[in-house]
Amino acid sequence: MATAVAALGGLRRASWRLLRCPAVVRCHLYSSQRTFRASAVVSKISDEQKHEPPSSSSQQHFETYPTGDQPHQEPRASRPSYTGHGGEESEDYESEEQLQLRILTAALEFVPDHSWTADAVAEGAKSLGLSVAAAGMFNSDGSELVLHFVSQCNSRLSELLQQDQKLVQLGQAEKKKTDQFLRDAVEARLKMLIPYIESWPQALSILLLPHNIPSSLNLLTSMVDDMWHYAGDQSTDINWYTRRAVLAGIYNTTELVMVQDSSPDFEETWHFLENRIADAMNMGHRAKQVQATGEALVQGLMGAAVTIKNLTGLNQRR
Amino acid sequence: MAASIGAAPCRTLFRRSCGKRLSAAWGLLGGARGLVAQGETHLGFQTVPEAEKEQRVYQVFESVAKKYDIMNDSMSFGIHRLWKDILLHQMNPYPGTQLLDVAGGTGDIAFRFINYVRSQREYRLRQKLKSHQNLSWQEISKSYQEEALKPLGGSQVVICDINKEMVKVGKQKAQLLGYTEGLSWVVGNAEELPFDDDKFDIYTIAFGIRNVTHIDQALQEAYRVLQPGGRFLCLEFSQVNNPLISRLYDLYSFQVIPVLGEIIAGDWKSYQYLVESIRQFPAQEEFKAMIEDAGFLKVEYRNLTAGIVAIHSGFKL
Repeated sequence: MATAVAALGGLRRASWRLLRCPAVVRCHLYSSQRTFRASAVVSKISDEQKHEPPSSSSQQHFETYPTGDQPHQEPRASRPSYTGHGGEESEDYESEEQLQLRILTAALEFVPDHSWTADAVAEGAKSLGLSVAAAGMFNSDGSELVLHFVSQCNSRLSELLQQDQKLVQLGQAEKKKTDQFLRDAVEARLKMLIPYIESWPQALSILLLPHNIPSSLNLLTSMVDDMWHYAGDQSTDINWYTRRAVLAGIYNTTELVMVQDSSPDFEETWHFLENRIADAMNMGHRAKQVQATGEALVQGLMGAAVTIKNLTGLNQRR
Repeated sequence: MAASIGAAPCRTLFRRSCGKRLSAAWGLLGGARGLVAQGETHLGFQTVPEAEKEQRVYQVFESVAKKYDIMNDSMSFGIHRLWKDILLHQMNPYPGTQLLDVAGGTGDIAFRFINYVRSQREYRLRQKLKSHQNLSWQEISKSYQEEALKPLGGSQVVICDINKEMVKVGKQKAQLLGYTEGLSWVVGNAEELPFDDDKFDIYTIAFGIRNVTHIDQALQEAYRVLQPGGRFLCLEFSQVNNPLISRLYDLYSFQVIPVLGEIIAGDWKSYQYLVESIRQFPAQEEFKAMIEDAGFLKVEYRNLTAGIVAIHSGFKL
């Protein structure tokens, strides 16, 4: 009985998919209205968003309804990945992930007014022409907004570093020394926070919530990895880890200084950053010095021990 | 609302003919659970002609309307209040939301919505005043005046129910509890809603959709009246997965609830219908598939109380 019911259920679902063909006629009426709105909206945002194909927007939305089946057949909608470049689909229609990214990007405008909360996301959805209820797709504590912003900043930083590297390769710019390079990279990355610096402490606290720590740690490590990669780090030993740990520490402390910095143009922060990087560089030298001194000391002690043994006659074999 | 009802007839005609085609084909393919002949459907564990089900369900709710709330409390030991609170919490409505509460009968969801919006608005106002430290007295009094004029921030809820008795009880309750603004009461069928397209932000149906004769039509209507980006929320009894709890639940449902119905409301049969209709309703995954078929995206469900109740949520994107 149970299997018959299940089979009937499956058959019914299959028949639903067939029966939606007449329903598609009705839906074209809806989607034509939406294409107009959607294309107007996409043209507004397309210059901000780098990851979407903006031109065929009307095509996308027209096909969204009839081909709306495909996203459902995947296992329950996976959250957009924050470590990569968002959910880029190979198909030509806008997936749920892309729409979510668009809503979050639009919501960033409202962060100065509403801080990093679901309210900003609701306002963002409203600005895109969607209902405010679309903010229900996200977490109600605003974490996805913060994570999206951080991931966006990291992507921008990557692009900047890549462009600089190209310029160096083409010979149009000088290759910077490591400490100068790192200083510029961290400074560029922190400058992206300036528009949101008022509410950044709240964002930091959201990033430190237990359920967000895996994602935020992921983002931090990938950013630090990027910076060292473009700085030319090719180490394969323990240095790989120490360098990234040190840079992560420098970045985090500078970020905290920046949040409470009230000097004009954040001069104090850049000063602090300079000092920390100098410290880090010196630390490398000092570590070598300590090791050399230690070795010399140990050799001296060994020599003294052998001398004493000789003097007392313990070394002779009788 | 009157204007939209006037515009509805031509659309409802189209909807009805479309619905007949779909329901006939549905009947052909054997119906929801078990085998029903063409044009027939389930009424609890009985099989009745489709045309009759609506009438019989109407009679059921007409007779229980006055004791509906008391029975809810006694059957679920008051836990239904928690379920509805959780639904509101998941909804997290933003000020200015237009809510359509279908099968809202006695208004539980609507009243909770209004409370939620009011308290959120007070909280937001306090936050705003806290952040602007240098306001003058005039500015502060002006912001309080604005708040008094629009205490709900533009949020509105429309309660739609097919049963006039339930709506009457709901209106009395609203007056008793002092909910005067932001509410509208409409008598309408969930399969043919008397509203225009793209009107509402959120559509909820709490413990109502299993009484609808053609669930798919109700879902399609929900899709129609929601704005793009709008949310569909359904709170409904569902299948329990845990075998131990399932046995206890079955025992309780079939032995205790109809007896309570007879004692408190004087109506054994209605509550027998209630527990039977819960068993006939599709399980979580199947209902999720039905919602996706209606066109909703990002459909998710959440089990409450080990699966006795489930909240399904979908978006019109």
